Amino acid sequence: MNVAQQIVNGIVLGSGYACIALGWTILLGVARLVNFAHGQLYMLGAFVTWFATSKAGLPYPLAIAAAVAVLSALGLLMQSAMMRLVMTQNLTSLMIVTLGIGYVLQGGSALIFGGNPQTLPGTLSRAKVDLGPLWFTWQDVLVLIVTIALYAAVWLFTQRTRYGSVIRAVAEDPKLAELFGINARIVYLLVFVFECSAVALGAALVAPRSPILTSMGFNEVIMTFVVVVLGGIGSIGGALAAGLGLGLFTAFFGAFVAQAYTTAAAFALLLALLVIRPAGLATK
Amino acid sequence: MTVIESRSPTPMPLLRAASIGAFIVLGFFLPRLLGGTSVAYSTLTTIAIFAVMCYGVDVVLSYLGEVSLGHTLFWAIGGYAAANLSTKYGLDGWSTALATIALCLAAAAFLGAVTLRTREFVFSLVTYAAAVVAYEIAFNWDAIGGSDGIVGIPPLTLPLVATSFSAATQEDLWPVSFVLLLLTLGLIARFRYSRLGTVALMAQMNPALAASLGVDPRRVRLAVFVISAPITGLAGWLYAYQRAYVGPDMFESYFLVMMLTAVVLVGRRVLIGPLVGTALLVAQQNLFSLGGDWNKIVLGSVLALVLIFWPTGLVGLYRRFSKR
Repeated sequence: MNVAQQIVNGIVLGSGYACIALGWTILLGVARLVNFAHGQLYMLGAFVTWFATSKAGLPYPLAIAAAVAVLSALGLLMQSAMMRLVMTQNLTSLMIVTLGIGYVLQGGSALIFGGNPQTLPGTLSRAKVDLGPLWFTWQDVLVLIVTIALYAAVWLFTQRTRYGSVIRAVAEDPKLAELFGINARIVYLLVFVFECSAVALGAALVAPRSPILTSMGFNEVIMTFVVVVLGGIGSIGGALAAGLGLGLFTAFFGAFVAQAYTTAAAFALLLALLVIRPAGLATK
Repeated sequence: MTVIESRSPTPMPLLRAASIGAFIVLGFFLPRLLGGTSVAYSTLTTIAIFAVMCYGVDVVLSYLGEVSLGHTLFWAIGGYAAANLSTKYGLDGWSTALATIALCLAAAAFLGAVTLRTREFVFSLVTYAAAVVAYEIAFNWDAIGGSDGIVGIPPLTLPLVATSFSAATQEDLWPVSFVLLLLTLGLIARFRYSRLGTVALMAQMNPALAASLGVDPRRVRLAVFVISAPITGLAGWLYAYQRAYVGPDMFESYFLVMMLTAVVLVGRRVLIGPLVGTALLVAQQNLFSLGGDWNKIVLGSVLALVLIFWPTGLVGLYRRFSKR
């Protein structure tokens, strides 16, 4: 058992977690909204990519663009339907509504894409990089680079630009923000569309690693949610750190303790943290 | 909105008792009135079991205003307790039911205590994650069934003082599920007017008032959550005997979506709401099924559309039209 290889595996896994979690982190942290269809959106993003490459014969970059476009449109639709609940900050109903929509997406995808497991063909995910005893794929490198670039861009945008402060103003108090001439509806709509396109991008990049199923849903992205809570609800830097940390933890736990119980172990970690620091790691 | 209808003294207590009695008698003979076929018995038994399952979520959602996404965990605890204890140790129904209640209380107390200081939606997130993790454990741990589950659960036996009741067929299970449903309805009816029930509603509707009266909303949440767990657990317990099989599929999101939809469809804080909601949904799936994937779309759409367009459910819709 090679420690250096497990560190590589951990970074590979962790960048994937962080990549998929980005949309949720923004939605939760910047707009204070929740979306329990996140798992099904991930599934849909993966299947649209699969359909575009395997059935429509598009090259991989175009397939990614297709997945982002489809999910953005879906996000626009979802958020428009839920706008009243969003404006009244009815989180209880929003949680249940998104759960219901996720269930619809699951049934609809099974009708469209069939019930069989599929694999995303990827030339990058088969291209191995061998560094003596260590190995990883070019796809892993791509995921890591895109994840870090995205987090940096989002951090700069929300913290350093005027638009970023507009979004944060809406999150603080939508009614007050409207008094200052900000259209809160548009802001919520854009943030939600961003969440959907981010998860589509994450799915297109991360999903080639494992077989995809229309029923995978939230189980597949449960680590996302652990990342978001560990990172301290909505903290962008926190989510990136939590993603990578959780990746390392998963890799080492899987290699040295028990592969089957890595999710349970990550969850135990989360529970322990919730007792010590209920608001997450990043807060003081 | 009529939230707490003050318990007006019933003008005719006898009439009230008589109508409840008639409701019970009619309910008990309902499968026979519907033809007495085994389809009628099994559908109604399923409705009764699922309704009890939904009442566990109803307590949390309607009276506490919180969303528990982890009740499939309690549902599965009931099923796995019944399956494991009856096949491996030959225990009767009473013992497995007691074990279900104890395990559900312990699991809910643990989960509730850990999330005691978290923000509201973190509670939902953690309960959801708990169910996913429990699924993985149930799927991987062969000692309690593993990915294959447990087949061949013996018929439910409930030895009474002198005699013993054994339920081998769907017809035999109907009285048990009916009694369980009645007990649950009685419990919820009492809960609505209990100290805890009213305090929970107050903490939900008027947190400032609750705080000024010295109510700790976190403790109320914990108490209500712990009470709700064995209700859903006992439904899972009976479901195991009905299917004679228990597996990781008890964690499927179908049950979670079903619980939430049944509660919101008719309207929150309506005593028989979850029962009517369950009956409508199960009838659609069993009698007017469109195939598994379409049924998912129907169930999920009902849940989303009701909350988006008629947040008060069918009852609210009826009230709006009857006012005109």
